[in-house]
Amino acid sequence: MHVRKANSMERTLALLVTACVLYIPANLLPIMITDQLGQPTESTIIGGVVLLINMGSVSIAMVIFFASVMIPLSKLAMMFYLCWSVRNGPPETVRQRTVLYRVTEFIGKWSMIDVFVVAILVALINLTNLLVIHPGGAAIAFAGVVMVSMLAAESFDPRLMWDQRDGKDE
Amino acid sequence: MESCLNIINKDEANNFANYLACPSCDLLFDVSMLADGESARCSRCGNFLTTYRTNELSHVIAYTSSALILLALACSYPFMSFKSNGLESVMTLPETALRLLSNGMPTLAFLVAAFIIIIPALVVVLILGLSVALKLERHYRWLRPAGKLVYHLQNWSMVEVFFIGVLVSLVKIGHMATVIMGASFWSYAVFSLFFVLSLSSLDRVQCWRRIGALQP
Ligand SMILES: [Zn+2]
Repeated sequence: MHVRKANSMERTLALLVTACVLYIPANLLPIMITDQLGQPTESTIIGGVVLLINMGSVSIAMVIFFASVMIPLSKLAMMFYLCWSVRNGPPETVRQRTVLYRVTEFIGKWSMIDVFVVAILVALINLTNLLVIHPGGAAIAFAGVVMVSMLAAESFDPRLMWDQRDGKDE
Repeated sequence: MESCLNIINKDEANNFANYLACPSCDLLFDVSMLADGESARCSRCGNFLTTYRTNELSHVIAYTSSALILLALACSYPFMSFKSNGLESVMTLPETALRLLSNGMPTLAFLVAAFIIIIPALVVVLILGLSVALKLERHYRWLRPAGKLVYHLQNWSMVEVFFIGVLVSLVKIGHMATVIMGASFWSYAVFSLFFVLSLSSLDRVQCWRRIGALQP
């Protein structure tokens, strides 16, 4: 048998709040600075999505939108709901909630796509004086959001939800 | 093939080696009756439990050693090159992290290196060590911690996510220059395949049962 995770609920909630706070600079700061012929242009996460749509790559824009906006926000919402449901959730939905937990565990790391795009472009595009790309502050803030929310999913113990049901069975 | 399992009453579960608690809901199951190739799922919450294969260790050793060679190749050749107006710049896999470091972002550089190179490499080395020790039926004290670390770290490997990142980067810069994929790109792609095979072939529960059987 596996040892239960200690103080699961408190740790999970603290990490979720941290992720929410980090999500603000992740969206306000630039994620990437393109320096073309000495003219720097900053772009944010949302700005990058808009740029891709204007370029006509709607499907890739959707990939980034899902990875950087939909996944982190819905993951945070799902984790808050799961924490709330340990005490107050309807016991008959515990099976569905366990599946929901497996989903939050699985989708978390896919949010890192945009951070990897920045890392790749910074490394690849380095034509001195002509075209250079620098990473912006949002890259580290966003990597923080992904990491902290993955830690939150890891510290949540889905067996707490079954304990509540088992308690009512007896 | 899915097998129907006996649910065990918690009071009867004295012999832990053959019993398994569902990691999602703690219901106990007897997994000693599985035949070669059979898998089991939790009857209460549907969570995957285990697959039993008699010759899994030889496969795992083959997959992990191939993966290590491919990762070494992927780190030593150019990953992609970018040509624009007669100028060329080349990127290697370690440079995705190193350039962030030279841009004054050591934390991000470390995270990127960890997610795409260090953690995948560590997971592969640990699985190789575990499966060789279990194949030789030798007991070492590091077997249990190594097994725990593998299953803890595997969620933090982002090789497949990185590939989607490569795809997005290609679309972003494809209109302004010619991008050529290097030998490292292909090695890393095949590495990701062997990485997934290594992880999926070494079943967690069977690994614990084999370690348990070796203990004096
Ligand atoms: Zn279960």
